[in-house]
Parts: sequence; C-alpha cells; structure tokens
Amino acid sequence: MLPHLDAAHRFARWLSRSPIDADDILQEAILRAFRGFDGLRGSDAKSWLLTIVRNCHFTALEQQRRRAQVPLPHENDAQDGGALVATTPDPESTSMRRDEERTLDRLMAALPEEHREVLVLRAIEEMDYREIAAVINIPIGTVMSRLARARAALKARWLKESAGEPHAVR
Amino acid sequence: MPCADSLRVQAYFDGELDAIGAAEVERHCETCAECRELLRDLELLRAALRQDLTYAATPPALRDRIMRALDQDSATPGARAVQKRAADWRSRAFWKGAFSAIGATAIAASLAFFLLAPPLSDPLLNDLVSAHVRSLMPDHLIDVASTDKHTVKPWFAGHTDVSPVVADFAEQGYRLIGGRADYLDHQRAAVVVYQHGSHVINVFSWAAARSGRPRAITRNGYHLSFWSAGNLEYCAVSDTGWDELDGLVRLLQTLDAQDKRG
Repeated sequence: MLPHLDAAHRFARWLSRSPIDADDILQEAILRAFRGFDGLRGSDAKSWLLTIVRNCHFTALEQQRRRAQVPLPHENDAQDGGALVATTPDPESTSMRRDEERTLDRLMAALPEEHREVLVLRAIEEMDYREIAAVINIPIGTVMSRLARARAALKARWLKESAGEPHAVR
Repeated sequence: MPCADSLRVQAYFDGELDAIGAAEVERHCETCAECRELLRDLELLRAALRQDLTYAATPPALRDRIMRALDQDSATPGARAVQKRAADWRSRAFWKGAFSAIGATAIAASLAFFLLAPPLSDPLLNDLVSAHVRSLMPDHLIDVASTDKHTVKPWFAGHTDVSPVVADFAEQGYRLIGGRADYLDHQRAAVVVYQHGSHVINVFSWAAARSGRPRAITRNGYHLSFWSAGNLEYCAVSDTGWDELDGLVRLLQTLDAQDKRG
C-alpha cells in the first residue's frame, strides 16, 4: 500500500549513508507525506516523496549539528524510539554491511553529496532530468552538468582504486 | 577540455533527446573520438552500477514500524479534526485493516499514491499508450471515417468483439471522427476516435476481464482515464488536460446510463 517506499528508503540510505538514520528519515518523510504538509505538486508521486525524503535528511543533519554543539542526555531516544526499533541486527542490515565493502558501493558513498544524489536518482532510481531537477530543486541544465561531473568523479575514483589495488575489479 | 557536445552526448545516453537530436549526436560521434569514448564510459559505468550496487528492499520490520507510526500520528489532537471528516471513508471495508486510524489527508495522500504510482506489472497500460501513439501516425487513426454514430457503431459489430457507446458530442466540443479496431488484452477492441480542438482522444473499449486498475494514470505524458460500464471496460487516452479528458468521459458515462434506462 506504500508505493515508492523502497525508492524512498534507498534514497534515504544513500543520502545519510547510515542505515539507522535512513530508517528515521524514511519514517519522518512518510509521516510528512501523509499529513499532507508538503502538498503533492503536479502528478509525480515519486519525485514528490523523494523531495520530502531529501528535506527530512537536511533537517536531521541540522539537528545532529545542533546536538553536537549542545550535548543532551538521550532520554527521549530511549523513550520514543526504543520500543519501536528492533535492537537485534536483522539479517538485512548485516548483508548491507557486507555489501558496503563492495567497491562501487564504497566509492559511491565516498562521493560528495551533491554528486551522490544526482547519480543515485539517475542510475538507481532511473529518473529523467526533469524529475531529478524537481527533487533537488535545481534547473535541468544544472542537473546535466552535475551529473557529468558526478560520473567523471566516480570514474576517476574507480580508476584510482583499480590502479592502487592490483586485485581490485577492473 | 571536454568536447563541447559532451553534455548532449550524455543526454542522448540518458534518453533525453528526441529523434532528431539523437540522430545529430549519432552523426557527431562518427567523427568525434572523444564522445565515442564518453559513450563507452557511460555504458561501462551503467553496467557496473547495475551489477554491483546494493538494491535493498525496505525490511518488513521497518515497514511495520512506519505503519504503526502513521496510526499513532493520527491519534494526536491535531489530527482529530481531519479524522472526523474521514469517518465515513474509514467505515468502508476497503480501507479497513490497511488504514485503520489514519486521517483524511492521509487517505487522500494514499489515494494519490495509489492512483499515480505506475503499476509496472500492467502491460495493458503500455499497450494502450502505444496504440494511441500509433494511431497518431499517418493513416493509422481511423478505419471507418464518419461523424455519424449510425455508421460507426454497426461497423464495430463486424470488426471487433464489443459494441461500445458511440455518439457525436460536437456541441460540447468533442467531435466524433471515426472508429478503429485494435488488438488489446487478447481481444479485438473497439476504438472510438474523437477530436477535441487539435487533440485526438482515443476511447478504447473491450470486454472487462479484471478489476483493480487505477481510475486515472499518466504514462509518457498521455493521460489514461479508465471506467467500466456494463460488461465493458473503457479507457480514454489523450494528451489533452485532465479536465478536457474527464469532460468526454462524463458525457460517455451519462450516455451509457441513458442507454440502459431506455
């Protein structure tokens, strides 16, 4: 009953690079979407939901920064989150950790966020330029140039990796 | 310094160019070694990403957690007002279980999701859009050209498996221009062709086989509006706006209801 949930979840993971943060971001994004705070514009539900995910990611980053400046006790987390979050690592997250060791996953995760998000939206979510422009809120021309830079950066890192490690995949 | 056309080559690779632009890029690549290499790189990168990247599905536990959070969210005071409005919606058995306690906005949003999410598994949607696009090519639009329903309707009897409602709505802006037979969902479907301004609207009809299709969906920029009447399933396809398309759909539905009564 929740289409695009997988896409939203993947995007949250790629943005935050943390499975736990991604879960929280996804939950917040779905709640926001369902409350109708960010009214559905146009007809593209996927772009709309991913836009909300991206906003939630930035909000979470901002909160983390503030928390780092003024450390607070974590009583709220224990109260609200504790009951809902499974504490034992599920098989899925274990396999995620193993997968993170894969070259391309790692190289992608190491890209600057600006590059990472366009690549994820294009290569993984297979969105067109117009949809990507809507999610990131930039002109289509910027999508094109950013995508080109992102691909070049990933290629450069990939070449460097294969040159540095003789056993790595070509 | 990359070739000045590299962004266009990338756009070509990403399927963003029309046929003319694509032909230009292909011509350019015949003489530009740098852009040929770029295309090769893009291919390699795509193949590698498809093969290597983790495509994780949302774990069921997280899905459950989110559904619980949605339930809890609508129990807070702010959500009560919308909840009240949603009362009669919720009482419908259809929503029970899935959305036991979600507010009206939530239901509206989920409806939007439900209607707008392209069900990729339904090849019929692609068939409908393809048939519509094909019909716009020269000499494919109409098998029987007539603005008279008494010509178009009997023609279907001999050429298709169904007999849909046909009428000329020229006064309301939808001119009947003819009919066509198309093969759809393993049967000979009837297509009534209307003209609205400069737009063509194809109204497909075929014997209903299954339900659960979205009422309205947009595919490749074409709007598809579905409804059923009697034992027929209808779909109007066009690149007009939703309002214009819905206008015709309402006229046809009204006519169908009148036919049954009369």
